[in-house]
Amino acid sequence: MESSLQSERPSEKPLSDLGANAPSRAISVSPLRTAAACLAALVLPGLGHLVLGRWARGVIIGLGIVIMFVLGLWMKGHLFKPEPGEWITWLFSFANLGIGLPYFVLFAADLGFQLAPNQAAVPTFEYGNTFLLVAGLLNMLAALDAYDIAVGRKA
Amino acid sequence: MTHFIALILFSALVAVVFAALSSEHHDSASRLKYGAKVFGSFVLIGLVIAWVLYPLPL
Repeated sequence: MESSLQSERPSEKPLSDLGANAPSRAISVSPLRTAAACLAALVLPGLGHLVLGRWARGVIIGLGIVIMFVLGLWMKGHLFKPEPGEWITWLFSFANLGIGLPYFVLFAADLGFQLAPNQAAVPTFEYGNTFLLVAGLLNMLAALDAYDIAVGRKA
Repeated sequence: MTHFIALILFSALVAVVFAALSSEHHDSASRLKYGAKVFGSFVLIGLVIAWVLYPLPL
């Protein structure tokens, strides 16, 4: 019996209903595979597209976001965690969380969260923070893109 | 790492991801063109903002 994870069926909506920019190769996949793709996209950048078989797009997105994240750490940026009474850290933590598994791995290892003395004086400190925040936000966009592909809104 | 190199790296990486995610461009050539446009816009606007802010005593 064919696994529901493997099944692909044509989009339930006719392509003509998807608007003028309707992708010609749009497909929709099973709800289980859609959920798996969204979850995978949130766990690791690009993984959601790989689950959907979009290899090139997944590798390009994954590499772009991971390189940005690594550069952010290399530039002495730091990751945020929510601090009671400091609402801005909740916003930044939300953006940082977008990167998925690496955030939790670094949190568990207590790497990248602590501010060393004079770290904020490093010229690239704010650039590093920005790279880390934007990497997380881009991965959220990538997860939404994976969802759009899975439900047949996009080629 | 200079400020300019950080700007170039940031612009390049965001442009690559935006071009890959774009729903308006369906072939490699138009994605490449869109990515180049995003990259150029980031760099140009960054330089203009830097030029405008430079004389300010911040």
